Amino acid sequence: MVKLPPMDYAAIMPLLILFGAACLGVLIEAFVPRRARNITQLLFSLAAVIAAMVFVVKRAGNVTAANAITAGGAITIDKAALFLQGSLLVLAFVSLLIFGERTLEQGGAFVAQAAVTVGSEKDKEQAAKSLGSTEVYPLALFSLAGMLLFVAANDLLTMFVALEVFSLPLYLLCALARRKRLLSQEAALKYFLLGAYASAFFLFGVALVYGYAKAVDFASIHTAAAVGAGNITLLITGLGLLAIGLLFKVAAAPFHVWTPDVYQGAPTPVTAFMAACTKAAAFGGLIRVLYVGFDGLGWQFTPVLGAIAALTVMVGAVLAVTQTDLKRLLAYSSVANAGYLLIGVLAGGQLGLQSVLFYLVAYGLTVIAAFALITLVRDADGEATHLSRWAGLGARSPLFAGIFTFLLLAFAGIPLTSGFMAKLSVFGAAVDGGQTWLVIFGVISSIILAFPYLRVVVMMWLSEPGESTPSVSLPGVLTSTALGVGTIATLVLGVAPGLLLDLADKAAAFIR
Amino acid sequence: MTVITLADIMFGAVGLVAVGAALAVVSTSHLVRAGLWLVVTLGAIAVEFLLLRAEFVAWVQVLIYVGAIVVLLLFAVMLTKAPIGRSTDLDRPIWPALLVGAGSGLGLATLFAWVYASDGISAPPVGSAEKLGQNIFRDWVLPFEVLSVLLLAALVGAIVLSKKDAKS
Repeated sequence: MVKLPPMDYAAIMPLLILFGAACLGVLIEAFVPRRARNITQLLFSLAAVIAAMVFVVKRAGNVTAANAITAGGAITIDKAALFLQGSLLVLAFVSLLIFGERTLEQGGAFVAQAAVTVGSEKDKEQAAKSLGSTEVYPLALFSLAGMLLFVAANDLLTMFVALEVFSLPLYLLCALARRKRLLSQEAALKYFLLGAYASAFFLFGVALVYGYAKAVDFASIHTAAAVGAGNITLLITGLGLLAIGLLFKVAAAPFHVWTPDVYQGAPTPVTAFMAACTKAAAFGGLIRVLYVGFDGLGWQFTPVLGAIAALTVMVGAVLAVTQTDLKRLLAYSSVANAGYLLIGVLAGGQLGLQSVLFYLVAYGLTVIAAFALITLVRDADGEATHLSRWAGLGARSPLFAGIFTFLLLAFAGIPLTSGFMAKLSVFGAAVDGGQTWLVIFGVISSIILAFPYLRVVVMMWLSEPGESTPSVSLPGVLTSTALGVGTIATLVLGVAPGLLLDLADKAAAFIR
Repeated sequence: MTVITLADIMFGAVGLVAVGAALAVVSTSHLVRAGLWLVVTLGAIAVEFLLLRAEFVAWVQVLIYVGAIVVLLLFAVMLTKAPIGRSTDLDRPIWPALLVGAGSGLGLATLFAWVYASDGISAPPVGSAEKLGQNIFRDWVLPFEVLSVLLLAALVGAIVLSKKDAKS
């Protein structure tokens, strides 16, 4: 007779709710009539996210070492995990709003039948008329649940399972764009193949670490490393392979090559979801691995990871300058931001953790708003993402050009925006942690990166609108809400960051 | 002083078969033969599991990998291309693959030889069905259940990607 390990159901309730809701979402596909599906799925998914959020909030604040580790040692619900889960849920809620938008284009951003040959008569017909697929909601929920598990995993094996659960639906979602379908399919295939490769590296790393520590849970790895049992080369090689898998997910150079293609090809709502949530989840996993599992190594890996961080900020910034497509530009900017986050991770200590947690939320909300705005600027062929098409947008639609300018200034790190506070806290923590050389790279990269942002701003305001300047569609309630939330958060976190910084400070504690 | 037993010799010999067959998988230009060589590789690994006294894992290996996955692979080849004879379009420059494959293979071999020459490997516990079941359904029950959810997500995704309306 096998007895289940003790389960703290209140602690894993957010996970159970999301997985359950995703499974029920599949049933909704089967039984709800097609016309009512989008609204049903959307409301149902949002309700599930809110319900999960309620459980996260209820638990926040009363976590102790005694009740944090549950489910047979597979999961740790400590304060950092709760903070990350909470921010993932908020970011996903806002992205799901963009998923549900149907007023910009009949049927929304997703293709109804992905198997129809691109460019055929049937394809043109479905691009113009079909209702669009609604399976994206259960897939997004599966992915979100995987992310929640990923940031709370207490051992490498659970982490690997969670990595697969959150990645696979993302690969699929990338392939479902209604317009520019070839780009979308190419993006999905690239993301899938490279992602599978990265997963393989991660798994091999797990095997090597197991060979060293004879266990895969973080506490045992920490103890084994601190004691220095066995041959340390095995552990270092294992950590290296693990890091490759994780750095691929956070899009750090030189593992970033998939980012521009995938960000450009994926349907824009999915890009927003990926840019905000995948980054938060992957960094959540990375800090847990480094702070909890491999802390016993005494941060010997700092020089190597520091070199990667320096490379990432420079590559992201320099390549962003050469881009002519807005989605690709934001993709490279996201690479550079992964570098800034890595600098925060390497700062170490309470301050480093706090700055990373703050950065993830601040950046996520801004990037969702930016992609929400990109969905609005469209012509007959869908979104017009080429930079030249945005020339003169300020004259056409001052409000949206103004909002986008504000968001770009936030990315550039101008004071009074959340981007400034986020960068300030990350760089401050790094100086405190004795990583001043990384801060120098970070500042240089920020200066370079300001150039492409400002070029877009100048283009929008100082060029005359030409024949080809597309119109800015009036957003529906959903996109307006997402855009509004993101923009206001960018402003509020820039002017009064205290509340979230406090929250991040209290949350910056792991339990081993 | 370790004694080399018959089981050790067999383990090495079967390992050589597995590696040789794996080389054949990637070097043959007959797609179907590559699939069949894969049967040999995976079968040899199943025998390795048996020699390590993990009989349940061995049979799972036979059932899932040799049985299901290779058959699926061959079906995929047959349904999409059904080539007979050599596929000349598979020719690629061999040296990058050789470099990466030999490099990582040798690197790992050196690492393992170096690490375990000093430490040694403790005898593996018996991998019986009972023991595995205890492990999976007690300590690892949550990740195990999550894996089934992953399968569901993959299933939904496969349908979304491949569905076409029957009418029109």
